[in-house]
Parts: sequence; structure tokens; C-alpha cells
Amino acid sequence: MTESNQINSSRRQLIIRGAKAAASIAAAVGVARWLYDPKGPEAKTAPDPFFGEAKGLPDFSVPRKDGQVISIVKGENRAKTVNKAIELLGGIERFINPGDIVVIKPNVGFATPPILGATTHPDVITAVVKLCYARKAKKVIVTDNSINDPASCFTISGISKAASAAGAEVIMPRESYFSPLTLEGGSLIKDWPIYCAPFAKANKLIGIAPLKNHHRSAASMIMKNWYGLLGGRRNVFHQDINNIIAELAVLVKPTLVILDGTVTMMTNGPTGGSVSDLKKTNTMIASCDMVAADAFGSSMLNLRPADLPYLAIAEKAGVGTVDYESLKPLRTEVT
Amino acid sequence: MILLSGRAKTLESAVGMLILLIMIATAVGIYIISQDYNMARFGIASQQESQGDFTPVGKAETYNNDNLYEKIDGKAPMYQEAGFIKLDTQRFAAKSNSELGFELYTYDMNNAKNAFSVYSRQKRADVIDLSDLGTSAFGYVAGNAICISLGKNYIEMIGSAESNELVDGMKGIAKDLSAKFKPTGNDKIVELEYFPTQGTVAGSWKLQIDNAFGFDGLTDAYSALYKSGDKAVSIFFSRRKNDDEAKTVAKNYYDFLITNGAKALTVDSEILKSAGASVVDFYGSFEMVFSTGVFVGGVHEANDKQAAEKSAEVLIGRLK
Repeated sequence: MTESNQINSSRRQLIIRGAKAAASIAAAVGVARWLYDPKGPEAKTAPDPFFGEAKGLPDFSVPRKDGQVISIVKGENRAKTVNKAIELLGGIERFINPGDIVVIKPNVGFATPPILGATTHPDVITAVVKLCYARKAKKVIVTDNSINDPASCFTISGISKAASAAGAEVIMPRESYFSPLTLEGGSLIKDWPIYCAPFAKANKLIGIAPLKNHHRSAASMIMKNWYGLLGGRRNVFHQDINNIIAELAVLVKPTLVILDGTVTMMTNGPTGGSVSDLKKTNTMIASCDMVAADAFGSSMLNLRPADLPYLAIAEKAGVGTVDYESLKPLRTEVT
Repeated sequence: MILLSGRAKTLESAVGMLILLIMIATAVGIYIISQDYNMARFGIASQQESQGDFTPVGKAETYNNDNLYEKIDGKAPMYQEAGFIKLDTQRFAAKSNSELGFELYTYDMNNAKNAFSVYSRQKRADVIDLSDLGTSAFGYVAGNAICISLGKNYIEMIGSAESNELVDGMKGIAKDLSAKFKPTGNDKIVELEYFPTQGTVAGSWKLQIDNAFGFDGLTDAYSALYKSGDKAVSIFFSRRKNDDEAKTVAKNYYDFLITNGAKALTVDSEILKSAGASVVDFYGSFEMVFSTGVFVGGVHEANDKQAAEKSAEVLIGRLK
């Protein structure tokens, strides 16, 4: 090979190698572009075989009746107090019709036993499921989006056993049950995966929450309980906890809410961990106005409604009334 | 450019292929391991072993900053703001009764100070202090739970029921953990030695890393409760970067108290006057603040002014 040929050959090799390198880079960029998801943590939207396509959350509320918006019942026995609280609001007949499909949304956020008060107490679930079936509901579903091992959360909290024993269907979250939703006028819930599918065929929704202290939001009650409907990496909303709670309260329009203050977690919420965090407060609240229920609940945590900014935000958005006394709560005691 | 001979080209291709194969094998290995995560491979197998009369149930789990919220939801930010590294959890059931058990949470908080801060922040009222855990450990029993600050770890054992059998078992495990613990110099919280020993309420030491007593300018504040008869006084201090910062924090805390309704009182003690101490009546309790050197210190929620001043004098003497 002559010197001239060698130079030509090395130049040709340089060009070929350079072209190969450029092609490799272009291919890597192309693959990255192909894999790039500009929308972020969007859930799969494939229709669920049972529930069908999730299209959002319907309005489950019932017509308002002045003077029967909120009831507060004192007593230790959850079954008795929750029955009485609903009776004071007009009875289960006001909320459930024969043939209804009812979804109950408890707080099943943790795999902890009922004695710790971090999750909805199974006795309340049992009582409400029985009431719905006594009213000839077609089906009662108990579900929550427990992010940490749902099976353990439902089992250890006692909710799975209680719901099943009372005849309800327990539904654990699946990826296909989430659907991206946008709250009109909202600043946070924009194209965000929401736990929708289990509600698709339901026509009634009952929220049941324990009354707890909360490290981030000061309190976890009814409105905070809807946080469980958020999919994706929902911890990002902890940075704007008051607005996300308020937006969820605007998004979800339940038939009835029940706040269980039989035992209140006064400290170290929302997980607690010790019975020393709990206080017997022997109070059950039923309400068609979740802002009013939470405003009353705040007093049981020795807080003022003003200490929970999300209450005022939700009130301004038309969700309910902070001044629960103006609703003339129906009060009684059961032994 | 150096031209390669045919043999060299073959060698180059072989080396290239070998590197590619190693990379592929590494990727496959990572994928396989991630499908069957076994903590024992990473040196944290102890939680998978039996603990006393308890046997592990289910898999051990590990959480980091990205997924801590999956386990403890809204409480995650509290740990993360205090220096959280990782959390290991494992459930255990009693060998004699599988219905009885506890979940062990081991929070790696990076250092002893961080661990002590989350420990003291969450400390429950009306607890039984565990006094036999050694000099570098703090712990207590609260109903069904045992909480320990042990070196860089904050440990919780959450019992499934209020049971003496369960608590006794967990106490034994707490002792074992502290006995096996080999403290280093960094595991001792030396600041606690500034507190006088006489009259201190056992287990009342606290560290508030931020927003101490509701004032966001007071950080890294150590406090302890003292009682003498019906007189109760909490004393506190915080080490600042320099004398000027200590003076500024003391003044700002005083202003914060006055802004929130405190009424200024006269300091009687000459020692405290010379330290520029301020005392206020804050809705029936007495608050005091001063600076000495790099420390800002004071008294919180004292029910007696004389006792407050006396305690502050003692604290100043120890901080000098």
C-alpha cells in the first residue's frame, strides 16, 4: 500500500467511524425521545373488564334538607352511634334506594391493627354495610387505594374481614382502576391519575374516616380521606397539602360522610403507633356537609377551624360551611 | 492515525465484544436481582432473623427518600426534614401465639443527633422510660409500643395489642439491640452534658431541630424539664455559629414572645442582668431568654419566677 493510499484509507476509516458514532448517538436520542413521557405519571386507561371505562367521578350527593345536615352522637358503641347519627339525618332511606350500588371509601392507608386508630374502624364498616343491605342495596363495595401493600392494609386493619362478613365486596386497587382527571378550575389536579373505576357503576358514595392528628395538614378527617383516591406519586402534593385537600373536596361529591371520633388520634398522626397517641372521645358525626363535619372534628383535636386552611378554601369553593353551628347540628347520646 | 494490522483489528473487535458482553451480563444481573430483592445480601439480614421469642413474618422491606411516603404517608416529611436515609421494616409474630406480634421499624437517620430529634419530637406523654439501655441509647414504653434512639437509628416496635407478654418480649429485644450496639464517639450527644443533673425529670431531654416553642428562628434547641416540689421549669439552649448570632436569636425570640402577647417583667438576679437576660409573663407562665457566648438559652413554661431565674443562673454557669 502506498503512502497516499494509506492516508486515503485512514481518512475513509475516520469518516466511516465518525458516521457510525453519529448514527449511534442519533439512535440513542431517537430511543430516548420514543420513551419520553411528557405527561408524567399517567395511569393506564385500558377499560377494566368489570367496571368498564372509568370516566371520572359522578355527583353522588342527595338533595339537601335544612336542619338535617349534620348529626353528632355521643357514645362508646360505634354500631349504635353510627346508626343513630344516620337516623337523625333522616335514616338510611334518605341516602340509599333499593337497587343502589354503594361504594364505601374508608381510610385504609396503613397496615396497622384497629387498636391504633390509624384506619377506619371495622365496626363502623360493618354497621354501614348492614344498613345499606337492610335498605336493599344491590351491592356494597368497600375500597381504598392503599399504596403500601393493599392486601396487608385491608387484612391487618380488619376492614377486609368486617366488610366481607357483612356481605360487601372488597376491592383492592389495580393500575387499570385509575384514570387521568382534571378538576376544572383546579391548580393541582390536572391530568392526574384518580382512582375512578370502582365508582363507575355505583350511584352512591359514603366516606368513612377516623379522626386523627396529621403531621402535615394538622388533621386527617373526611376531606383528607379523599387523598386516597390520588394515584401516581401522590406525595408531591404534601408540599401543597391544603390546596390538594380542598381540590379533592371539590372533586368528590359524596352521598354521606361519617367521621368516627369514638377514639381520636391526638398526636403523632397520621400513623400514630402507640395507644398513648389516642384519646377516648366517644363521638360519631354523620353529615352531608364535609366541611362542617371537619370543622367540628377540628375542635376535638383542640384546633380551631382557622388552623386548617383547607376548610376556608373549600368553603370559598362552595363545598360546605365552616360554621357548623349555623347548621344546627342534631345532637344526642346513646348508651 | 495509526493503521491497525489484521491481527490487531481482530483483537480490538474481541475486546469490544468482551466489554459489551460484560455490560449485558451486568444489566441482566441487576434485572434478576431486582426481581427478587433479598436484604440479606446487603448486610441487613438481622431483621430477618428471629428476635427473642418472635419469628419474622413476611418479607423485610426497605424504604428510601423516594418511597418512604408509601409506608408512613404524611409523616414522611418529618423524617426527611430531620436527615432520613432509609427505613427497614419487618413484622414478627410470637412463637407461642401467632396472633400476637409487632412490626419493627428501623429508621437510619444518618447520625445520633437526627435520630434523637425524631425520637424526642414524637415522645408520648405518660410513658415508662427504659433506663437500662446504656449511655448512648434512649427509650421508652408507651402502651403497646417501644421507641428507642440508638446511635444513628430511631427504632419503633409497634405491638399489635396491649399485652404484657408482648411488651416484655419487646423490652428484651430492645435490651439485646442496645447490648449489641457498639457506640462510637459520634453516637454520643455531647450537648446533653450541659444540662444539670440535679432535679432533672428522667427522659425529659428533647431536641427540636426547627421551630422550637413555635418560633421558627430557634433551631437545634435542646431542652430538659426540672421539678422541685410543685415548681416545674423547662430549660433550653441552642448553640449558634458565633456570639453575634446567639445575641440576635435571643433578641428575636424575645420579640416573638412580646408580639404574641407576653408581658415584660424585671429580672431580679444580678447574674442574669449581666447576661442581658429577659423574662416575660406569657399567659401565666414565665419565659426567659439570654445569650452567653455562642449559646442562646433560657427557660420555658416555668410556673414560678424565682425558680425560673435560679434555673437560668445554673444553666448559664454550665454553658460558660
